[in-house]
Amino acid sequence: MAEHTDTAERTKNRTAYWLIAPGAVWMTLFLAVPILMIVYVSFWTQTTFKIEPILTLASWKQFFASETYIGSLFTTIRLWLIVLAATFVLGYPTALFVGLFVKSKTISTVLLVICVIPFWTSFLIRVLAWRPMLGKEGAINILLQKAGLISAPIEALLFSELSVVIGMTQIYVVFMVGPIAFMLSRIDRNIIEAARDLGASFWRIFFKIILPLSLPGVIVGAIFVSVMVLGEFATTAALSGRKVNLLGNIIVTQVGSLKWALASVVGVILTVIMGLVIAGFLRVVDLKKEL
Amino acid sequence: MAETISNISLAGVTKRYGDVTALDRVSLVLDKNEYVSLLGPSGSGKTTLLRVIAGFERPDAGTVTVFGRDVTHLAPHKRGIGFVFQNFALFPHLSVYDNVAFGLANADTPPSADAIRRRVTEIVRLVGLAGLEGRDIGQISGGQRQRVALARTLVTEPRLILLDEPLGALDANLRMRMRDELRHIRERLGVTFLHVTGSETEALAMGDRVVVLDRGAIAQFASPEAIMNSPANPNVARFLNRYNVLSGKMRGDTFATAYGDLAYGKRIESRDAAYGVRYDRIAVVEETAPSAGVEIPVTFVASEYLGSAVMYFFEAADGHILEVEHHLGKGRMPEYRSRGKYKLQWKSEDSIVFG
Repeated sequence: MAEHTDTAERTKNRTAYWLIAPGAVWMTLFLAVPILMIVYVSFWTQTTFKIEPILTLASWKQFFASETYIGSLFTTIRLWLIVLAATFVLGYPTALFVGLFVKSKTISTVLLVICVIPFWTSFLIRVLAWRPMLGKEGAINILLQKAGLISAPIEALLFSELSVVIGMTQIYVVFMVGPIAFMLSRIDRNIIEAARDLGASFWRIFFKIILPLSLPGVIVGAIFVSVMVLGEFATTAALSGRKVNLLGNIIVTQVGSLKWALASVVGVILTVIMGLVIAGFLRVVDLKKEL
Repeated sequence: MAETISNISLAGVTKRYGDVTALDRVSLVLDKNEYVSLLGPSGSGKTTLLRVIAGFERPDAGTVTVFGRDVTHLAPHKRGIGFVFQNFALFPHLSVYDNVAFGLANADTPPSADAIRRRVTEIVRLVGLAGLEGRDIGQISGGQRQRVALARTLVTEPRLILLDEPLGALDANLRMRMRDELRHIRERLGVTFLHVTGSETEALAMGDRVVVLDRGAIAQFASPEAIMNSPANPNVARFLNRYNVLSGKMRGDTFATAYGDLAYGKRIESRDAAYGVRYDRIAVVEETAPSAGVEIPVTFVASEYLGSAVMYFFEAADGHILEVEHHLGKGRMPEYRSRGKYKLQWKSEDSIVFG
């Protein structure tokens, strides 16, 4: 009998391993191995025309000695923080409306689908569409001029850090709205009524009940947005007029000129930053408890 | 409907949702310091009534007065009324202590930290949760959650506490213990409890008085004994789940049914005509036994063993099922032949008639 159960148990375990096998193979081949490879290549010797597997710190020194590269490191962090803040400020009230204030599940689903509509076009089109909006002769400038609010077009709208922030916020805000709206929709309405019955004002209910209970959603949203913004290069390429260079843009340029070693250095730095950011967010809230 | 400053009264409270009238001119006076059960089948409007009193819903007409103050248009927390939700609605991210302290700490003018601590400690002890203050809500049992829910509202010193099926989420054992507990806590505090329930045994066991709600209107408001002995109408008798209710109509001194004219004891004025006899006042005899009192021929269908009593189900000629309760204290459990022919007999004075 005991032997029998044992066999059954082992069969069950083997089945479980088969379930994760495809995922494990995929992750090993296309995530773990490439990351190790990037770390390895970042120590290779790079000359103008070729790259050799002779270990050196040259590329690392080159990165940290260059004002341009360090500058783009800080630009990346600054833009990430700005976009993160913007998606939160814009996304939270939207999520609050969709997830908590809309009583009908149907309407809140419809609203979430509407949020996703921009994804029906490709990423690049969505980014490029900002050019005719923000340009010198773009829609916004024309409208403001027609309304007599400005006499000359505002040039800072396009090909500036502002246009990059606008573009990224528009693209990534939905990744903030989704998880927050989901957490908010799971809050038992009776809890809010109970708080009201106990005499708490609207703001107190918000800060003591609603915000803490939606925090896991905020953290998940922030992780989504952070990972995507930190790795960005396309939005800056399309909307900054080469004035804003993120770490992602440096990787693209270096790879373009076959400087694999330096590109790897930047890649490692970017990966470490993302790892720290995610670890930091996960410390704020115990996601295990919420799942 | 005397309105004094020592009671809670509803006058002509009406609430409609579209075409549906959830509450139809409900008037009710609750005294200070009493335990009132509110009994009704699902859909009778009992939760709506509770939510109107609490202030979560606005009535379309009528007024709610608490100790002489018209609170019909006041926000829930300004009414001096506490609410215990069916699923307890505790704050899942706060500890037991913080749940109980919530109403004090988040008031418009919160008391001092010291005063809060003293008050919370006192209430936590009163409901029997001492020592669990630091626990998370996820770490305590259903019965303890029930106590936290009660303590959380008691701490704000309401004069009326509304309990929406407070025992519904508990298992049977715990439910019996919490019944006792609720009554004790209420007695120690001297506040009024209005306890909504769909269970007639719970309503009769808990309430000093019982309100029976039927289709949005009050069918009866009386002591448990009065409701049990003289239900106001056939519907109330049916909710009580203690009466065989037979349809028919009055004919002089008897009540005409499909089983012949039945003699009756008490008559209760009611719009709907019906004949009622309690499950435990009926004797079962062989078909051939001599006639005595009121009787109708039946066929035995099934029995259900309840521990201290047995329920027997008999089918009358027209398919109507009649129930007979036999208390095992009265003797050993009788056995009847399946589909066997019997007669049910009772004394006419043990029956009531509506009409």
